[in-house]
Amino acid sequence: MLKQIINRYESKAFAFLILMFALVSVVNSDFLTGESVVNCFNDSVVFTLLAVGSAFVILTGEIDVSVGSVLGISAAVAATILRDGGSLFTAVTMAICVGAFFGLVNGIGVAVLKIPSLIFTLGTYGVARGMVYVYTGGAWVENLPAWFTSASHSYLCGYLTWYYALVLVFVIFVQFLLSHTKKGHNFIAVGDNYQGAELVGINPTQTKIYAYVISGVFASVAGLLFTSRIGFITPMSGNSYEMKAIAACVLGGISLSGGLGTLIGAAIGAVIMTSITRILVFLGLSSNYDNTITGIILIVIVVVNTIIQNREIVKSRREISLKRIAQKAFIDNQEGSR
Amino acid sequence: MSESQFLLEARDVFKSFGLNQVLKGITLTLKSSEVVALIGGNGAGKSTLMKILMGIYKPDQGEFKINGQNLENLNPKKSMKAGIYMVPQEPMIFPHMTVLDNILIGFSGKKADLEKKLEHFYRQINCKIDLNRLGMTLSIAEQQMVELLRGLMRESKILILDEPTSSLTFDEVQTLFEIVRDLKKKGIGIIYITHRLSEVFELADSICIMADGKITLRGETSKFTREMLVQALLPPSFTPASKTRTELETKIRNAMPILQLKNFSGYGFKDISFNVLEGEIVGIAGVVGAGRTELANTIFGKEVPLGGNVILDGEDITGRSTADVIRMGINYVPEDRRCNGLFGISPVCANITSALLASKITGNIALNTSEEIRISEKYIKDFRIKVTSPYQEAGSLSGGNQQKVVIARSLSTMPKLVILDEPTRGIDAGARGDVYKIIRELSQTGVAVIVISSDTEEIIELADRAIVFCRGRVSAVLEKDDINQQNITSASFGIYKEEANA
Amino acid sequence: MKRWDLTLLVILILEICIFAYANPKFLMPRVIFGSINDIIPICIISLFVTMVMITAGIDIQAGAVVGLSSIIVGVTWQDLGLNIWVASLVAIIIAALVGLLTGYIVAYYQVQPMVVTLGGSFLYAGLALLISTLSSTESYKGISGFPESFVNFASYRIGGVLPVQVVVFLVMTAIAWFLLHKTKYGRKIFLIGINQNAAEYSGINTRFIIMSTYVLSGIAAAVSGILLTSYLGTAKSDLGATITLPIITAVVLGGTLMTGGKGSIIGTALAAVIIGVLKFGLPLCFRVNMQYLDIPVGLLLLIVISARALSNRPEVIVFISNLKKKNRS
Repeated sequence: MLKQIINRYESKAFAFLILMFALVSVVNSDFLTGESVVNCFNDSVVFTLLAVGSAFVILTGEIDVSVGSVLGISAAVAATILRDGGSLFTAVTMAICVGAFFGLVNGIGVAVLKIPSLIFTLGTYGVARGMVYVYTGGAWVENLPAWFTSASHSYLCGYLTWYYALVLVFVIFVQFLLSHTKKGHNFIAVGDNYQGAELVGINPTQTKIYAYVISGVFASVAGLLFTSRIGFITPMSGNSYEMKAIAACVLGGISLSGGLGTLIGAAIGAVIMTSITRILVFLGLSSNYDNTITGIILIVIVVVNTIIQNREIVKSRREISLKRIAQKAFIDNQEGSR
Repeated sequence: MSESQFLLEARDVFKSFGLNQVLKGITLTLKSSEVVALIGGNGAGKSTLMKILMGIYKPDQGEFKINGQNLENLNPKKSMKAGIYMVPQEPMIFPHMTVLDNILIGFSGKKADLEKKLEHFYRQINCKIDLNRLGMTLSIAEQQMVELLRGLMRESKILILDEPTSSLTFDEVQTLFEIVRDLKKKGIGIIYITHRLSEVFELADSICIMADGKITLRGETSKFTREMLVQALLPPSFTPASKTRTELETKIRNAMPILQLKNFSGYGFKDISFNVLEGEIVGIAGVVGAGRTELANTIFGKEVPLGGNVILDGEDITGRSTADVIRMGINYVPEDRRCNGLFGISPVCANITSALLASKITGNIALNTSEEIRISEKYIKDFRIKVTSPYQEAGSLSGGNQQKVVIARSLSTMPKLVILDEPTRGIDAGARGDVYKIIRELSQTGVAVIVISSDTEEIIELADRAIVFCRGRVSAVLEKDDINQQNITSASFGIYKEEANA
Repeated sequence: MKRWDLTLLVILILEICIFAYANPKFLMPRVIFGSINDIIPICIISLFVTMVMITAGIDIQAGAVVGLSSIIVGVTWQDLGLNIWVASLVAIIIAALVGLLTGYIVAYYQVQPMVVTLGGSFLYAGLALLISTLSSTESYKGISGFPESFVNFASYRIGGVLPVQVVVFLVMTAIAWFLLHKTKYGRKIFLIGINQNAAEYSGINTRFIIMSTYVLSGIAAAVSGILLTSYLGTAKSDLGATITLPIITAVVLGGTLMTGGKGSIIGTALAAVIIGVLKFGLPLCFRVNMQYLDIPVGLLLLIVISARALSNRPEVIVFISNLKKKNRS
């Protein structure tokens, strides 16, 4: 059991995160305060949601590059409502509807029309981003109510924000549903073996549509938290976040070919992604190193992982071949003794 | 009659894909405790029919009854609920899930109850697979076992087995047969799809032969002989190629060894030594997994050798790259046509000349298209490949014609030695005759040929000399009249020598 | 594929006619060539990303490489004192090496190309930024003050009308077309995309060919970066930050199959021009705000691919053939 936990990719990702923190602490012991470590988690709240949402889609073997734009449009819609004195309820409902709508469109395009997901979500990416401009008229959405923006600074205990605590609990809950319910299993089954899923009576089309809607809704909730934390919305808000969300999933051990990985992994990946910026400060490096280091970590981890995996596949194939010959010797002996 | 005598009835099933009519009015019935063997060449429509029964495809027309009750608008869920389960040819395993999850996926109910039920079936079919193993670590036989368990767990009354033995070893086949007989006793009806006639006589109660979207022959097994089935499978116009074995003695006396294997070892085979002479057809027989394909792949530079030498025409080519090996004069027609042989969405001419891209014949830098077409048309004519033009997509051809295209590709490099791995698997009898003719003509021009085949009849038909593999080693070398069904079969299971001694 | 190329040509002509009708100024060469620089990187790079995608790969780092090569030109010229043309050559070589590394990882370690180039898009954008901080000029300003000959290069108009970029694009199209459709190299690219295993059994060195396509796309990105730097007169690290997705759009719209094995250079070139003309014609002729342009481009992509997906469905094929039959009778 323990061995299983250790061997799980998300455990490795978590170990990597700890190692990263440890290394920084060695270089600069100032880092090792509750505040900086916990803030690494607090900062990741938006990406955690985005990555976990994307993870659903990636688990089914597809991809969603529209989440950054969907985050942008839902944030813009919600921010405008709040600025104009609308209630929190309206804002949240509208944002989630927008997210669900784009998710539904993506789901239909990919699952029903069977269009390659990268292409289709690329299209919705463009449309959603353009709509942010249309909706905001190209201007910033500012002057949001203070209660809304200050909510992001309310702490549950110590340095842990309510936001991160809630998101974490939520992610754990959703992970539980994913791994312990029939519907949850469907997502992984569809990504693991599409035809196989069909044969055991799972409706892959429906499952993929669900995955996209979930991804859209998670992106819109991420948009709400984003607005609350930043306090304003620009037409470019959330731009290129989709790439970071995908990177977080990959770092967290989710296979882009589907069927392998957990939401917890995605959440850990998101923390790794976002803590790099904070860590750089403690290492005395400028934030200019941010992308370089992210890129290197991503490539190195994936390359090493793939090499190990491929070696194991070749090794096991060869072992099976050798075993067959060994069996022959065994039979000879038996027959000889007869 | 209120109770139907049939477990399953499918009547007048029609199905087209686009403009291509695949099923032209099929009627199929199955009683409980009955094994119906469904036989037919590739493209006969067997898989389509089964997928319709499973509710994966929607039929254009057709009536389905289970225990006399009408079923409409089938989908996979409904079919399974009605008690139909298909074990596909390539089992649908979830590679990243455990065996337990693999079996229980798609079930509702308490996990503990399900596990208890599973334990019962585990004992029933004497299955020993560890439930915690991952799907990707299972052998094909184990995967089929998992599929069977899925079907049993659903308490299916109708099991469809789609060519279940095509990639099993002998022991595994025997185990499977046991299970099938056992299930039959329990009242389960089984549709058994196969290419192998010997299995039909061993297992089936009745036989259905499908050709070109129709059922051409149907009845109880006891009424038929092997010859009658072969006749029914042949296309109407086919006359079997007469067996013309060339003057073996003179041929071999004058011939030079083209290929010499000396204590050649690799992953899956050990200490293989034999020669192949100019113009000789050497058949390599044995069961699937005996190391024959591994040997071919290793000679062809696709896998690293572990010892010994491969000598081609006096030159040591052990461990050379595929491109080198082709250039030196060996070519290989791989076993899995769809996966390793054919460029499906590419024109036939590009397929045929693909192995020539390394040579100057197809141009220096720019592609010499006129030469490409000339070469392609030559093979299309010689091999009687049915195409509308050399530009037709190779994937749209029938299995037999696809195989001819792949063989043409291998011969286009003018090799001294050709290795054909299961050259007639999954192709119809007419095309099979053509392929045999091609192989014989090839050997008459002095090319050395190795034919790897699990089909004993094929080895008997073609080979001048048969080398039988068993578990990675040569268990017998048979010459001339010794090449017969019994010797090959016994040698395949490693018991030939003892018989000879006795 | 030919039929799709024709369809694209018809779409392009229709597009031009509509724009010309709405605003005759649109057809003036000065106007039509005026905004060529906004689209030239997309046009050039997509030609070679087509090859990558035909091998069933993908390259989403080309945009980052554009910025990287631009800043390399700037820094090697300004801070290392190299001749500007030598600096350009250095940028091309480095971009080729970047492509080589990516291609090596993809082809020889079989890492998913999407992941490698995703990492690359972070890495090379980051490196570009770091290199820009090495310069004595502050990075957000960009490096400028290049020699006349370099700055004039991209603004030079052949015969006073035809911008040199268009010529570069046409030459690159011709090269790519010849490579992909007329050479043995191109044939190998297609075969690998259709069935890599079968290609290996045909004795094709699939890994080397796959790697080489990434080198070509790296070089194309560098050429675009240099052209942009020359035209703007400024080397910046974030040039090309937004062109990744339009590149993929152009390649796909051009008829390239995401799963590999099918595609056409002419198709990609036409699709890139269609997108370019759309981006330039809408603001000019219909006063569409520049910032809204993602919507029509996105919609164009969605509509075209949905229509294509629908038209390939069996039931639609039957429907169309029935219609034809009715018309005949």
